[in-house]
Amino acid sequence: MAKMKVHSEVTGSVWKLLKKPGDRVAAGDEIMLIESMKMEIPVLAEEDATVAELHVAETDAVQEGQVVATLDAG
Amino acid sequence: MSQQLSFDDLERDFEERAARARAMGGAEKLARRRASGSLNARERIAHLADPGSFTEFGLFAQSAREPDRSRSPADGKIAGLVRIDSRPAAVVSNDFTVMGASSSTTNSRKIGHIKDLAVRRGLPLVFLGESTGARMPDVMGARGIAAGERPTQYRRMRETPWVSAVLGHCYGSSSWYAALSDFVIMRKGAAMAVSSVKLTSMAISEAMEPEDLGGWRMHTDVTGMADLAVDSDEEALDAVRRFLSYLPSHHKEAPPRGPVGASFEPDGDRIRKLLPLERTKVYDMRKVVDCIVDRDSMFELKARYAKNVVTALARIGGHVVGVIANNPLHKGGAIDVDACEKSTSFMVLCDSFNIPLLFMVDQPGFLIGIEGERRGAIGRVMNWMNAISLVTVPKFSLIIRKTYGQAVLNMGGGGNADVVLMWPSAEINFMDPRHAVTIVHGVKREEDPQRFDELFAEMAKDTSAYEMASAYNGHLVIMPEQTRGTLRELLESTGLRMTGGIGEHLMRTWPTSY
Repeated sequence: MAKMKVHSEVTGSVWKLLKKPGDRVAAGDEIMLIESMKMEIPVLAEEDATVAELHVAETDAVQEGQVVATLDAG
Repeated sequence: MSQQLSFDDLERDFEERAARARAMGGAEKLARRRASGSLNARERIAHLADPGSFTEFGLFAQSAREPDRSRSPADGKIAGLVRIDSRPAAVVSNDFTVMGASSSTTNSRKIGHIKDLAVRRGLPLVFLGESTGARMPDVMGARGIAAGERPTQYRRMRETPWVSAVLGHCYGSSSWYAALSDFVIMRKGAAMAVSSVKLTSMAISEAMEPEDLGGWRMHTDVTGMADLAVDSDEEALDAVRRFLSYLPSHHKEAPPRGPVGASFEPDGDRIRKLLPLERTKVYDMRKVVDCIVDRDSMFELKARYAKNVVTALARIGGHVVGVIANNPLHKGGAIDVDACEKSTSFMVLCDSFNIPLLFMVDQPGFLIGIEGERRGAIGRVMNWMNAISLVTVPKFSLIIRKTYGQAVLNMGGGGNADVVLMWPSAEINFMDPRHAVTIVHGVKREEDPQRFDELFAEMAKDTSAYEMASAYNGHLVIMPEQTRGTLRELLESTGLRMTGGIGEHLMRTWPTSY
């Protein structure tokens, strides 16, 4: 199964994890919320997939471009 | 006594020659293409054009090299005039079954002629790209590559819209014309690069796939050179038609007026449900755009590139507009280098073809940081300001929620739009007041919450739409459900009435890629 890396678009901190490994996501679903610029900015699934792994925990600092999750495509 | 030729003989000879030329690279190659799901060069024109509207130029063109004449029907590039939705246009379709549609003396002359005709006579130009680059051995040596009589071959002055569809491997001319075009569609599986994978791999001693070198993800996500990626030739050609339906045939013509959208009643309720008033929440601005414009009229360009800004052609009351809208769903709407390039490029397109601009504003400022500075953020911000100052089509700026900093001006505030509208939800400031308290007074909320809150109140005051209206820095405060009607009135009453809808085109020679 093809692996898809999901990146944070912003530098900030993990506000809330909304999915866990094993959860199905549809394209456009929110996987987690990153707090940045005093806003809750979602990390979105680009395609239908299953969450394979989350690489961050709530309150972790994240950098723009950092891989925060891996999904199994399909 | 010699036999006298008759017109019947001439006609027979003519039909035989035409049939040989139309056979392209031969039945076997065409069958292989069909099996792979690709249309051939002539089928692509047939799908794009109104039925029976193709007038071909250069059917009998051939390679200038004697040994190649018989195997180069139309010299590998099929060109001529078509009608697209009844409007005349010019088309060049690369025939990959003939010598890889490589560029040569004869077919360069053909393309140059069609291009010249199009720009001088006001015809949109469509390139259907799939080609291997310059033909060898024709182009080798000093007499090959250095020959040329067309100093304006790659000059782009935006007299007419140019559209490129990248439908296969595109190296050389197909890539160059895509780079020069106003709208580029890529078929998934196609690739576009300076040189082929084979040559590039040899040059840098590194194996690679075409997808890595110049596939659709590269060009829609990273370079922004492709506006749209699709799954088939047919979808690509349909997108060409759709893009052209928003544009005039040439820059001395106003964009075509469409019918008023099926539903023009106010969508204020839908907007109220979509738009969170809490500052911390984000939303997808595209859904708000959809509420403002005529139903189903939104046609997004570069949807996958710099998602923090939306650039879309649309209609309001049948009038074509170009929408530039911050999208808080991505990066909170903060504007980075790619968003600057995307917005600037879109302003150049709209201004060059007489399309009014609508800025829809919800942004926390420019995305600052080392990476942006390394990529020349300062210059990109100023390119945008230079561009917006040169725009002569009508500009409207609608402030939806927050707008901070220099970007207030980039998004049409501070005198950079003809009319500034605000919803009561608007908040206008130089800087996020939270940051301002710390920067100016050195106070952090976690250290001294009471003092912080006092100073915050000071920094956050006078930021409402009514304050902006009070100084007449903004011209109208309206409720969301009044937006469609107000914009329609502005488009009809404050358009380019004295020049028949035609702008001054001060950016017609702006670079096509940067």
